[in-house]
Amino acid sequence: MSTERQTQLVSTQSSIGSRATVAIIGLGLVVFAVSWLALFQWIGGETDVLGVGLFRLLGVCLLFIGVGTGACGFAARSGRIAATPRRSAGLLTGVLFGLLGFLVGGLSGAQTFGLGTAGWLVSAAGIGTAAATAAVFPREELGSTIPPSVFVTFVGAVITAGIIDAGWTWTPVDLSVTLIGPVVVPLLTIVASLIGVWSAAKAHSGFGARGRQSGAFLLISLSILGMLSVLVLLVGFIVVRGLDTVLTDAGVGIGSITVLNIQIPWVDVQIPFLMNVTQGLFVDVNGILPAIVGTLWLVIGAVVFAVPLGIGAAIFLTEYSESERFTQLVEIATNGLWSTPSIVFGLFGLTFLLPRISNNHRSLLGGQLVLGFMLLPLVVITSYEAIKAVPDEFRDASAALGVTRWQTIRSVVLPAAMPGIITGIILGVGRIAGETAPLLFVFPRSTFPSSVPNVLGSFEFSLAPPFVTNEALLSGGSALPYQLYASITSGHVPGQTFTVEQFGWGTAFVLLIVVLALYGIGITTRLYFQRKLQHE
Amino acid sequence: MSDIDMKQTRAESNEQRTTTTVGETEEELQSEWSAYEFDGQTKISVSDLDVYYGSDQALRGVSMDIPEKSVTALIGPSGCGKSTFLRCLNRMNDRVSSARVEGSVTLDGEEIYQDGVNLVELRKRVGMVFQAPNPFPKSIRDNIAYGPRKHGDIDTGLLARLLGDANPEEEEDLIQRSLRQAALWEEVSDRLDDNALGLSGGQQQRLCIARCLAVDPEIILMDEPASALDPIATSKIEDLIESLAQEYTVVVVTHNMQQAARISDQTAVFLTGGELVEYDDTDTIFEDPNSQRVEDYITGKFG
Repeated sequence: MSTERQTQLVSTQSSIGSRATVAIIGLGLVVFAVSWLALFQWIGGETDVLGVGLFRLLGVCLLFIGVGTGACGFAARSGRIAATPRRSAGLLTGVLFGLLGFLVGGLSGAQTFGLGTAGWLVSAAGIGTAAATAAVFPREELGSTIPPSVFVTFVGAVITAGIIDAGWTWTPVDLSVTLIGPVVVPLLTIVASLIGVWSAAKAHSGFGARGRQSGAFLLISLSILGMLSVLVLLVGFIVVRGLDTVLTDAGVGIGSITVLNIQIPWVDVQIPFLMNVTQGLFVDVNGILPAIVGTLWLVIGAVVFAVPLGIGAAIFLTEYSESERFTQLVEIATNGLWSTPSIVFGLFGLTFLLPRISNNHRSLLGGQLVLGFMLLPLVVITSYEAIKAVPDEFRDASAALGVTRWQTIRSVVLPAAMPGIITGIILGVGRIAGETAPLLFVFPRSTFPSSVPNVLGSFEFSLAPPFVTNEALLSGGSALPYQLYASITSGHVPGQTFTVEQFGWGTAFVLLIVVLALYGIGITTRLYFQRKLQHE
Repeated sequence: MSDIDMKQTRAESNEQRTTTTVGETEEELQSEWSAYEFDGQTKISVSDLDVYYGSDQALRGVSMDIPEKSVTALIGPSGCGKSTFLRCLNRMNDRVSSARVEGSVTLDGEEIYQDGVNLVELRKRVGMVFQAPNPFPKSIRDNIAYGPRKHGDIDTGLLARLLGDANPEEEEDLIQRSLRQAALWEEVSDRLDDNALGLSGGQQQRLCIARCLAVDPEIILMDEPASALDPIATSKIEDLIESLAQEYTVVVVTHNMQQAARISDQTAVFLTGGELVEYDDTDTIFEDPNSQRVEDYITGKFG
């Protein structure tokens, strides 16, 4: 009696079924990866692989996958593959396949068979309902293999037969875009391979709870892969486009160079794009040094302004504020400030700050303050969370030793919260370093500056108030994101060396490097504080 | 106090009790045992202590005197107010915004619930060790020296070193002395600069005791100091408590009745509702309790 109810602990899935599903998954993943390469046109659709065009080969692979998953379903149904299926593949699966069926039915009805509105609606609804029914009503091993199998086989057949190929185009009525084969085919194969792989993964683990887990795991792993590839793609694209510009006329030699009035002996590194001003009489390679220095000064100023203020506010909210309601109010206000559009900050800077600090002239100080305002809410929010996360046990222990609240904050709470606080600052700096909109009104002096802001050298001391003045802080300049925006919108760059595009990509590349370098500094600082907490 | 004296007093108080118990209600009894007399100096005297958290009353009219240089155990079921009582003795309840304390607590005859009490000084004299070990995420050395450094008793900072005021030897002495007192020196003497969070739970708790001792308190409050530890670590902490009682007044809250019986000189039993039901010599409480409710609790019929 009891043995009948017992389920097997050790899976005795037939090795043929297991190998088949693994093969299908592997094939599907290859199709998936190659399709992405084809989508970005790193591999042409007509590339000759094994005697056939790439797209056709992908179609054939999809045919294999489609037929294979269907076969797995029937094999599981007839007991040839060990499986513990549920009663149904589930409502969500049904809805998704219903929508997919609706799309396929509608598009093929309207486009391939040229049916009218009524016709394609009927075809769409019919195929959609059929797909949903096929997914929901049969037991899981059929419900989650047959609809995918039909879809993947259909896509495979359409591509193999060349109905949609690299030369295919379609301009939908009422739409000003033309869909072209080299984009549509990879997109189709990506979707089809995903669905096929999902189905095969479920079959591999014998459906049921384990099957769902496998299917979900596969999709989730692919999404992290997708995320990483977006990152790599973006960075790679900028590097490839920008590197040439940056390295124009660059060279390394022995000698000495002068950067920002500081003489560095022995090495003679020349990277004109990084070391020259953007426009000038004797400048043959236009550089972006003013913008680099401008961005750095902006970030430094914003951090100096916002970080002490933000951390102070966060300490008050977590350690001193007695009123829950007040804390909530400040939190809401801070979140509101964080979501305020950046151009509004710029407008505020223009109409409120500039008349008061720099006599209505655009200025570095104005830019620093505006960016500081933008950075402030993020510093408050992240510091607040980080300080709140410090265990109360530390505060209790310190109070029980007779140590005052402020001493506790300084020597226990803040060090423990430091890594979190710094993470917030890193995120914020990354954002403000790349901001263009808030700077437009308050900072730029000329589109192509011919001099570098010399902040440190411009301090002048006097015996009469205000005792110290700094002309560089009160005059405008250029920043990397603004430089990019300005050169693209103005449509020309000075000099003959670069085209607008080259100059733009070079600037983008340098901006990326500067932001990454700021990240690097931040992460190193965070690691330092973390290590201090853990090892000391 | 010699053993004979001790027995004598206990015998007397037992006799007294048997004569008064007959026909009396518990309320009347309460006045009898709260007048429990011990030999030795009163260190802390609590009278009519009420504590409210918002509208909930956590302690009801608790009065008791705690003798110096002994171990006083507070036992009782969860939620009976024993931890609340402990936290009243160094005013840690001030840190809970909803808490309200009424009544009087005197330390060496001086009221600690009055205006103008210096909490820093109070907590330097009344140290506390918590239920879960809570060392700071700093080195062992910094943990021990934390209190004295913050109080300015020891300064090894850069400025002090420049001015020649630094006293690193004194700090070294203090660290060694505190760790020895807490029976931890042998185990950590070679890694004082390692992070304290790398120690085992029992070592961490002894470090917390050492950190408390470094401030040179007169009273040490312990809130279930061994409840998060394994039996071996627990027995080390218990030995430590007994040896600390020679120099310090120790008040310890515990769930564990055997522990209270093993380590304490006198025991106070709190029962649900925040009342102190009985307070007497530990032997009396465990062998011949006065109140039926205490006997039920101790024999495990309830709580």
